[in-house]
Amino acid sequence: MSELFPRKQVMGFVFSLVLTALALAVYFFDMSFTVAMTLLLVTAFIQAGLQLVVFMHAGETEDKGAIYTNIYYGVFIALVTVLGTLLCMIWGYV
Amino acid sequence: MDILDRFAIPPHDDPMLYGSLVAIVIVTIAIIAGLTYFKKWGYLWREWLTTVDHKRIGIMYLISALVMLFRGGADAILLRAQLAVPENSLLDAQHYNEIFTTHGIVMILFMAMPFIMALMNFVVPLQIGARDVAFPRLNALSFWLFFMGAMLLNISFVIGGSPDAGWTSYFPLAGNDFSTSVGTNYYMIAIQIAGIGTLMTGINFITTILKMRAPGMGLMQMPMFTWSSLIANVIIVFAFPVLTVALAMGTFDRLFGTHLFSTTNGGMDMLWANLFWVWGHPEVYILILPAFGIYSEIISTFSRRNLYGYKAMVGSMVIISLLSFLVWTHHFYTMGQGALTNSIFSITTMAIAVPTGVKIFNWLFTMYKGKIEITTPMLYAIMFIPLFTIGGATGVMLGMSAADYQYHNTMFLVAHFHNTIIPGVVFAMLAGLTYYWPKMFGFMLNERIGKWAAWMNCIGFLLAFMPMYVTGLDGQARRMYTYSASTGYGPLNMVSFVGAAVMAIGFVLIAYNIYYSTRYASRDIGSDPWNARTLEWATHTPVPGYNFATLPQVDSNEALWSAKKKGHKLFDSKYEKIHMPNNSGVPFIMSAIFFVWGFSLVFSLWIPAILATIGIFACMAHRSFEKDHGHYISVQEVEQTEKKLRGVS
Amino acid sequence: MKLDHSLPPEYSTEENRLKILGFWIFIGAEIMLFGTLFASYFTLVDRTAGTPGAAELFGITPLIIETLLLLTSSFTIGLGVHAMRMGNKKAMMAFFAITLLLGAGFLGVEIYEFNHFVHQGVTLQTSAFSAILFMTLGTHGIHVTIGIFWGLFILMQLKKDGLNPATANKSFIFSLYWHFLDVVWIFIFSFVYLKGMM
Repeated sequence: MSELFPRKQVMGFVFSLVLTALALAVYFFDMSFTVAMTLLLVTAFIQAGLQLVVFMHAGETEDKGAIYTNIYYGVFIALVTVLGTLLCMIWGYV
Repeated sequence: MDILDRFAIPPHDDPMLYGSLVAIVIVTIAIIAGLTYFKKWGYLWREWLTTVDHKRIGIMYLISALVMLFRGGADAILLRAQLAVPENSLLDAQHYNEIFTTHGIVMILFMAMPFIMALMNFVVPLQIGARDVAFPRLNALSFWLFFMGAMLLNISFVIGGSPDAGWTSYFPLAGNDFSTSVGTNYYMIAIQIAGIGTLMTGINFITTILKMRAPGMGLMQMPMFTWSSLIANVIIVFAFPVLTVALAMGTFDRLFGTHLFSTTNGGMDMLWANLFWVWGHPEVYILILPAFGIYSEIISTFSRRNLYGYKAMVGSMVIISLLSFLVWTHHFYTMGQGALTNSIFSITTMAIAVPTGVKIFNWLFTMYKGKIEITTPMLYAIMFIPLFTIGGATGVMLGMSAADYQYHNTMFLVAHFHNTIIPGVVFAMLAGLTYYWPKMFGFMLNERIGKWAAWMNCIGFLLAFMPMYVTGLDGQARRMYTYSASTGYGPLNMVSFVGAAVMAIGFVLIAYNIYYSTRYASRDIGSDPWNARTLEWATHTPVPGYNFATLPQVDSNEALWSAKKKGHKLFDSKYEKIHMPNNSGVPFIMSAIFFVWGFSLVFSLWIPAILATIGIFACMAHRSFEKDHGHYISVQEVEQTEKKLRGVS
Repeated sequence: MKLDHSLPPEYSTEENRLKILGFWIFIGAEIMLFGTLFASYFTLVDRTAGTPGAAELFGITPLIIETLLLLTSSFTIGLGVHAMRMGNKKAMMAFFAITLLLGAGFLGVEIYEFNHFVHQGVTLQTSAFSAILFMTLGTHGIHVTIGIFWGLFILMQLKKDGLNPATANKSFIFSLYWHFLDVVWIFIFSFVYLKGMM
């Protein structure tokens, strides 16, 4: 942690740019809806995870159990809310 | 007068509203006059308005909850009186709608929530052996935001008009086309303000419980009320933001002409119902889990036995917290989803009954072969078990989506949720109030009066709500201000009214108990009058500001019992200086600005709203630059306080 | 106040550790806040009642500029926290200042975008889609705006009081907030803009 050159930050930044560029492929290239959505989901969640662990130092302290539990719980419930809302309002609506 | 019209201040020819307005003005003047005459403004500001002490904040929540209990109860009596006979003319439809709306909002958000907050605030830091919560200043802000939100809603019926679209405020009824008064604006904004306070409490208590426990108290050595508080606060953190967004969207529709929930321009009114219940269902678990925690403490104490199945009790609450986010659609099965969607939610709804059932059995096993002492709190707990089970069973009935088409929005539903909330939450709060009263105020509430009140509440509850199951199955709809005699609903509704009156007697007895005990009860009760098992009873009465002179060393989930029975040493005797936070006026002031902000938005007064917004951010900026590191209580002062209190208790 | 020198400065007191955990929990709540906005957005995204929708409104160029600005600002604040842990106050303040400028740049482009929407005839009141679009982007934008002011206040305190456990703690918590806003943007970028322009 006390090395001079911020290697982790630079690598993280470069990786984020790569993930962003990959996501942009859905705009610049033709692909099916499923492939595009998969690409977006994968790049988004990886980049989010990157931010969390590398930049936000989520796993660094004795509280990491609480922090990760908190994030997983939040993401899980957010997904349930998004998918459940779409189910009730659109997909499952008669 | 024009300004009175703008704010719809009641005219002379609406006697009930006008009478209420006059009463409010008189009481306000009386309070101001009293404070001035007895020269108590300084005391009020120093000791209560600026306090950051969790015990004082808890007591303020308690007083607010009790006052709101009477407001909500008055609403209930009026509703029951109107429905006692067919074609009654006590309340017209508009008034009836306003009253059942405010009854719901007040009872759930401004009575039950603050009651829970009161007990959590007072008890949890003591139960974990801490000196205060993690963020005392934020804690004060939570209370004052709740208070201002409650005040804002409560003036609605004399200034501008109450909300009248139900506590669920469905669109398009709640939109500008059908709710033309500012009532629904009050709804959107007052609840928003109070909700922000609650979210802050969630963050505060999770941090407190995770990080500030006494040495030796691992997560699995925490008392059950603390566990239930932790889980309830986790639900708060993830559920309340949903409400924040939903209310904001509703506010935009009403104030800024957006089409989120409207019937034109692509709006989707069902989205409101969906988002409301994504919050609303977890909300009822926020209410019930701390209640379950209180019952765990009381049943264990008055059975003189360790709580049965500690791990199962913890596990069941964790499962309930997760499942509570997966069931919300059962509140609107009949509103357009297909069979598959409804079936999924039926399954999750029925599943959530299982961990709850586990808890009921564990309480029974705790009592089995225990040395049961039926005190007032224990009486409530014993009543709770069968009554709540009935309510839970009717919940499973409602949870079956196909069957729900018969029950939805009938009195059957009304009976079910009162059947779970009253024995579940209200009795727990009254039991908890009686149980913790001696620690809060230094004397016991009278047992005889307390038990009379409990029986009145129990019998009154049964008389009021059991008939509703029958009339509901018979077809009586909820939220209907009257019914014709030919329906045959009359006799049972009259029984309900009698039940409501009996409950009213019960609550009057509780108020009388408070008066009577304050006047006559002995102050010489020691610090552990119930012979209890957990750390909060290891403090002096009255509890000193710093709670514990030295932090306790814990060896089990019943640290005090272990100290009493096994000689475990709770406190080592070396005092150190104690770091305490300073009082602050900013939470009160910032909340008062929130009130002005809210009121301005309700009436679309844009300039005051913008100025208030700037004021709120100014308070936050002030906090950022503030360098307040609290103060120290010297070892000498600790010694003196301890000596004095040991003499008393 | 007991200082634990084995930990980075922002964690060095008990109170500091409490505040950082508390802020992580706040972030959990914000995940739900934005989650709800996303749920509403996806539900209402096609409900334009004939008015222009995502495909007509969004432009790839402003999107790429906004994303690069915000992503880079996340990088620069990471460098700032790194400098803070090395005890280098000047570098830290410089990186924080650059972060805030990049954030302001982001806001500028977003305002330009909103203006463009309005000129296309799409305002807050036009349709359900437009309302939830402005509310979602706007909520994120307001968070960035508040962040810029908050960051400025911290810079002022760093200038006046120097780098100590209290200012280090505030700076770290601010960096958590800023990174989180970038996380939210990643989802907006992917599922509001790119999905809308597929």
